[in-house]
This record gives sequence, C-alpha cells and structure tokens, in this order.
Amino acid sequence: MTESHSKHILSIMVDNEPGVLARIVGLFSGRGYNIESLSVSEVDSDRFLSRVTVVTSGTKNIIDQIKAQVRKLIPVHNLIDITELKSFIGKELILMKLDIKQKSVLNIHKHIKNIGAKILFEDKTVIIIEFSGTPNEISGLIKKMKVYNIVELTRSGLVSMALGKDYIRR
Amino acid sequence: MMKKLSGARIVIEALIQENVKVIFGYPGGAVLPIYDELFKQNKIRHILVRHEQAAVHAAEGYARSTGKVGVVLVTSGPGATNTVTGLTDAMMDSVPVVCISGQVPTHMIGNDAFQEADIVGITRPCTKHNYLVKEISKLAESIHSAFHIAKNGRPGPVLVDIPKDIQTFETKYGGKKHTKSFAFYKPNTKPSLDTIVKFVNLLEKSKKPIFYVGGGVINSGSRASLYLKKLLKITGFPCTQTLMGLGATPTSDDQFIGMLGMHGTYEANLSMNKSDLMICIGARFDDRITGKVSGFSPKSKKVHLDIDASSFNKSVNVDLLIQGDLSKILEMTLKYIENKRISFSKEKISTWWIQINKWRAKNCLNYKNSRSIIKPQYALQRLDFLTNHLDPFITTEVGQHQMWAAQFLTFNKPKHWMTSGGLGTMGYGLPAAMGVQIAHPKDLVIDVAGEASILMNIQEMSTIKQYRLPVKIFILNNHYMGMVRQWQELLHGNRLSESYMDSLPDFVKLAESFGATGLRVSKPGEMDDLIKEMIKIKGPVICDVVVDPKENCFPMIPSGSTHDQMLLGPNDKLEGEISEEGMVLV
Repeated sequence: MTESHSKHILSIMVDNEPGVLARIVGLFSGRGYNIESLSVSEVDSDRFLSRVTVVTSGTKNIIDQIKAQVRKLIPVHNLIDITELKSFIGKELILMKLDIKQKSVLNIHKHIKNIGAKILFEDKTVIIIEFSGTPNEISGLIKKMKVYNIVELTRSGLVSMALGKDYIRR
Repeated sequence: MMKKLSGARIVIEALIQENVKVIFGYPGGAVLPIYDELFKQNKIRHILVRHEQAAVHAAEGYARSTGKVGVVLVTSGPGATNTVTGLTDAMMDSVPVVCISGQVPTHMIGNDAFQEADIVGITRPCTKHNYLVKEISKLAESIHSAFHIAKNGRPGPVLVDIPKDIQTFETKYGGKKHTKSFAFYKPNTKPSLDTIVKFVNLLEKSKKPIFYVGGGVINSGSRASLYLKKLLKITGFPCTQTLMGLGATPTSDDQFIGMLGMHGTYEANLSMNKSDLMICIGARFDDRITGKVSGFSPKSKKVHLDIDASSFNKSVNVDLLIQGDLSKILEMTLKYIENKRISFSKEKISTWWIQINKWRAKNCLNYKNSRSIIKPQYALQRLDFLTNHLDPFITTEVGQHQMWAAQFLTFNKPKHWMTSGGLGTMGYGLPAAMGVQIAHPKDLVIDVAGEASILMNIQEMSTIKQYRLPVKIFILNNHYMGMVRQWQELLHGNRLSESYMDSLPDFVKLAESFGATGLRVSKPGEMDDLIKEMIKIKGPVICDVVVDPKENCFPMIPSGSTHDQMLLGPNDKLEGEISEEGMVLV
C-alpha cells in the first residue's frame, strides 16, 4: 500500500498541569507516531490552559487515529487540525550567534537588515540576531548565514494559527 | 462548620461516598496513615492479598462481575510497581479500577528515597488517567474524579498517587457533593439520529448479515444486553461474540454461532468472511479477530458501534460508525424500527442461514475422545453440563485451557465470564476469582486454569484461606505451557524450547497445605464424580485434572492467515509455509 503521507499541524488546548506534556509526547512515542516539531506554552493564566502545537505526518488513517487518541487524554480540552482549515499561518523563531571577529561589521549589519532579522546583542566578537518566519524561511536564513561563523543557534517549534474567523475554542 | 480531616481520613470518607464496600490491598510504609484510618472504621472491608498484582486482578474480577468500580490500595515503590501488569490488563480489557498508591512525602520526591518509584510516570501509558496529589486541597477532587473517569466513557483504570505527608495534612472535606469540578470529563454518549437511520437502512438491505459482538456490550450494562437480545430476535440475524463479549447475549441461543477469531468456530469465521454486512458492537477489530487484515471480510459493508472514537478505523476501515453508549444506540435503533414499523423478512436471509448451517454441520469443535485419557475438551464439556444450571462465574488463566473454556462453556448471562483478553495475563484467573467470590459469596465461582498459569499467582491460596473463599480451581494439567507448545509444533519445527512444566507441585497436597480440598482425576470415567464432589464441597477446592499432554486447540487461524484459512484439526496441514509476515506476528 502506498497511501500518501502528509504533514499536519495539530493545535491542542490542554490543562497546564504537571505531566500533561509527557502524556502527549508519551502517546506519540508509545504508539510510534512521529513528532516533527513541538511547541508549548501557557496561553490562559486565569484558566491554566496551555496551547500545544505538534507537527506530525502520516496517512489519513494514522492522522485520524492520532487525533482520536489525543482527544481521549483527560487534560485535553480541544484539538484542531490547522492544516485542514482553509488557510493558516505557521511561524518559528530563531536566535543565532555569529562570530564577527574576522568580518566587516558594516557588511554584516547591511546583510542582516536586508534579510529582515533583528539584532539583539552585539560586541566586538559576536552578534546575536533574531528572526521569525516560516520553517522554510528559517532554513533559508541558516543557509545564507553560513558565510559567517555560526557559533550556535536555537529555533523554536512551530506556532500556528488559522487565518480568518476560524480559531481553537477553549 | 465542617471539621478538618486528615488526608488519610478523607481518602476513606471519599471511598465511602463512592459507595465502595471492598478494597483489595497490601500495606506498607507509605500508606500506613490510610491503613490506620481503615482500622478505625467498619464500612469498607479490606481484603489482604499476597501480591499487589493479585490485588488489581481481584479488583478486576470484582468490577467485571458487578459492574462497579474495583478498588486497590498499595504502598509506594514495589507495592505500586507490582500493580503495573494488573493496571495494563484493566486498560486493555476496559475494566473500571481505581488504584490508590502511597508515595514518599512530597519533599522527598525525586530524591531516590526508600521505596520511591515514579509510579505516575510508569503508569501513564497503562492507565486511563492518573494523579499525583501534591496538595491536600486537591485530594478529594482527585479521588472523586478518579472514580468518575474510571466508570464513564470507555471504562479503565485510574491511579491516584498520594504522598505520605498529604495523608497526614488536614483540610475540610464536605463530601462528594461539595467537591468541585470532579466531573469535568464528559464523553459523548448520545448517538446522532441520522446515523441510526442509516444503520437501520443497512440492516434492512442485507442478505448476509452478521452481528459481531464484543465486551463493550457488557460494559455498557444489562440494558445493552437486553436491547441487543431484542434486536437479534427482531432481525433473526446470526451473532458471533468475541472472547470478551461471551455472555453479552446467551450463548445457548440458536442464533449464536460461536466465538470468532483465532480459535473461533468455523461457522463464525466463515460467516464473517462471506458476510455482506458486519455489525460490530462494542468490539475493536483486534488482531486475534481479524487475522490478516487485508483479507478480512472483503465483501462486507461494516458498521461499528462504540463509545470510544479512537476504536474507529484503527485497523479496519468501516462504512458507518456510530459513536455513543451502546445501550443508547441500541435503544434508539429499536425505537426507530418500532416507530417506522419496519419488519425484517426472514426469507431474505434464509439462504444465508442455510449456508451457515452447512458450515455448522462441520462440527468444528469436534475432537477425538478417549476412554483411557482425559481430553481437556471433554473435561470442560462435563464441567459445563454439570454446573451450567448453577450459572457459575467462570474466570480463566491464559492459554489453551482459556480457549477451550471459551469454546465449550455456555454463558447464559453477561458478567459471568472473566478472562484476560487483551493483555493475555497468565496468573489472572485465581485472583480474579477471589474478587468475584467476594462480590458473590453464595455463588459458584470456578477458575478454569492451566498448571503453568496457576503457579504465577499461586500465593493467593493464602488469601483464599484467610477469607474462606470457596473458589473452585479447575486445573487442566497437561504438563506443558500448552499454547506455547502448540505454536512451537506449528511454527518452530516441534522444538519444544522451555515449554515443558517440570517439577510441578503436588496440587492435592498444595491445596491441603492451604486448608483447601485437593482432588485429582486422570480417568475419563471419574470426571463426573470429581465435578460433583467439587460442587458439593463448601470450601475452596483445587481439582488437578490430568489431561492428554498432547492435545491442541482447534480450530485455529495461523497468524498472518485469513478467516477462510482455518486449521480444523491435527490432521489439517498448513497450506505451504507460514509467511514471514505471519511468523513475526504474536
């Protein structure tokens, strides 16, 4: 069988309680599902709700099964498959530390400005830049910055939202 | 003014509010405050088991034979980790169990303290939900929601881990009514009417229908069984049941065509294979049922009725799914049929029944009886014949004896058959029988066992002695792990690697050493007398039934095969080699 795999962005509202992330992650690993990206943070401090965004892939059957299994977890309030909505936006954040000892600072500044990244920190030896964009844009940025000496970088998981009126209920 | 109570006292009060009469447990350092409170009251009876795994199985037996939640109380560390097999068993077979475990005090958690285990972490995948109670203010809420979650929706085990300091802290407790937000979990139980209409439509059109009934019907309650019985009568359709579903409707009924699956009947499996409409009610297309999925009932439309949405399209894609509580779905279906004055013509399915009866005539459960040696099937046939009028509760261990029991015993009522289906836990039957007997002290409770399985929880004979539980243990002793040997014969060139049970105890003496009666029989002619004597004896009995060591369990669908590739007996040879795909299956 060659059923096609497709990428899905799942947005999950959960009680922000100890172990809730372990429940979700454990479900994925225990049942052999893939997590390509994960991001989680509290979004409603009055009702202690966190929003988890999981990027996963699989056949339609597998994706349906993932959704049904996640919905069964007791602390899960709601799950939407953002990829199934008409249109959506997905962004990641990247922080990157560049070694600038050997380079012309002026050129770097120009380059960073052109790309649309922000400078967060700068001294004589390093520069830290911040950039947000789609996963493709971020990967593109990393490629471009390889002309410099990248000391380290960190990128967040994807956060995503439907365009237009659609939204995840709490 | 509400009085302040200790956490330990709140645990007991909350259990009383949940109408708990019995708990199964084993004390230890981290639960001593709760055991102290248990000592001071007389509303809850505590049954002291001899191993925590047995406590969970006993609670399962109690739960499955009553429909109530079974309750377990254990200490931290090894006490808690010993429950893991039991909890997984309850998870796989959807049994409502609440397990309360002690934990090291909150400030010690994470320090590798004495008898510390991260039991909430360990049991996360094998419970429906679990709690670590870190604040006394959350204690009552956690316990009440544990019960709520265990019994609502698809039932399952819930663990509540209570650190020792929380047990000694004090807070106010106003009872269940005044406990906030424990009932936030609300699975949908009501099906939509339009799916019911579509369902009835399919029922009307079918010429080759089959009801495929699972344990969900029993879990849904006696009304579900009643409605299903009615629907069977109205439609005249044939019905097969899974291992977990046996007794959902009486298996003595003429429309019942036997259990299905790996060791199911010829007629049940072929009916599944050739049907044009399969109505799956509270079952989950388990691999023991489907065999090779790609060849599973290729021509049928499939309808799936279940409370659990994650069971839909998991291994087999269905054409119509109806999510909800089975008793509600069946009730609405019957009402719709009645309101629309729909009648089902028996004519339409008469050719189908003729075909089924031809399959039936194969008499697939037939075996070659012997005058000199007891065949296990014969022993069970006699057990069924001589005890059936007493509606006994049957538990089993896991293996050949379990399959033979499923094939040869009659189940007239739901909740009378307790067996480990999903997990296949050897050692389940004896403790489960204890739990059943506690719930039904006057009834006949029989653990159909194998000599290998029974040894896995044999320590529970001590519990049986302590509480004078008149459990009857019916060991089909073939000196082998029979099912392991059967697979080795079939798949591994008859190399019987480690499946011979050497150095068995003398079961008669073993019984006597625990104050029970031991009986042994090895001649077919003595079988009836043994069973009659077993029933007559008021106390616990171990029957050591020495059976043919070579007998195998048929029919059998070898792994990786389809329903129409059944082996009917020892002379039936596999068509060619078992595929590599089949060899790796369990």
